[in-house]
Amino acid sequence: MNLKKLTILPAGIDVLLPAGSPLTEVEYEVQQRPIPFGCRSGSCGACVIEVLDGLASLGDPDPDELDFLEDLGRTGGTHRLACQCRLRGDATVRVADDI
Amino acid sequence: MPNRVTNVGYGDRTPFLSSTASAKLRAEIDEQLDQQVLEWYANVPEAAHLEGKNVDSAYYKRNLIETAWRIRMLRVSEAKALVEIAKTSPEAAQVWANYEQEEMLHDELFIDDLAKAGVSREEFLATEPYLSTKLLTGYFSYLLDHEGPLGVVAYSYLVEYVNVKLEPKKLEALKQSVGEANIGGQINHSHTDINDDHPGEVWAAVRHLLRSQDDIDAFKRYLREHQQILAQYFEELYLDTIARAEKQPA
Repeated sequence: MNLKKLTILPAGIDVLLPAGSPLTEVEYEVQQRPIPFGCRSGSCGACVIEVLDGLASLGDPDPDELDFLEDLGRTGGTHRLACQCRLRGDATVRVADDI
Repeated sequence: MPNRVTNVGYGDRTPFLSSTASAKLRAEIDEQLDQQVLEWYANVPEAAHLEGKNVDSAYYKRNLIETAWRIRMLRVSEAKALVEIAKTSPEAAQVWANYEQEEMLHDELFIDDLAKAGVSREEFLATEPYLSTKLLTGYFSYLLDHEGPLGVVAYSYLVEYVNVKLEPKKLEALKQSVGEANIGGQINHSHTDINDDHPGEVWAAVRHLLRSQDDIDAFKRYLREHQQILAQYFEELYLDTIARAEKQPA
């Protein structure tokens, strides 16, 4: 089984998931809710994360996600909606706390 | 008990399978389906007909007609399944609703290809579906009434897995035999299955609906039973078209 590691800050939690897993799986792997998922369909913005390491490991955002991130003022290219990501390699993310 | 509200999908929402266990089970299920595909080619008459060089016109048209009917009838059953899924797993319901949204109008793609094959929408609508097609719908009703929505979702996993695996080969053959310009609807249908990772999407729903080892055993059984019913359809199709033509006096 090819497992990839996701490190989630500021909770400081490491989660191992099979390669290609959606990040929503995090919720079923740990007791806490280190990422505050909302709609899980890329339309509410509750799960914005800043990718500190391994941006390419989360796949490419589609145009709708990029538009929404721009609406949220996240234009630096390092933010993602966690519910739209799949873990294809190791990554470290920080949950945005000012949305 | 705080109140009398039930069937809203609260309670313990922790999946029966961890992410790793889910991935392992999916690999096991895919192995079962690979074996079922081998059995399909070995046992179903003319199973590879649409992958051949010479495609029987009546077989091709009728298969499009039945496919469109199947989509039209099963979307009703699959919408009923959504109701049942929402009662137990809102997570699975969200995935299933999204999948249904993407598939809902795909019958039109097949009706477009039918027109290119010389079968009008009126002729399609006037064609009574085969008994095997109706019985598949009937099996869905039985499942929803007596066993729950897992069996309905299992059908989609079977179809999506097999489509992604086999459809590209079939479409390449049809480009040569029927002509690429005439199979645009079928190509578009296949694009959705592959580009939107429909097997992965359906599995994401399955993963939340499996709540016990009994569910896993039932899921494997559903995959075999759906294949049996689909085999009955392909036999009916063969007997009504190719075999019937062969019986005609020269």
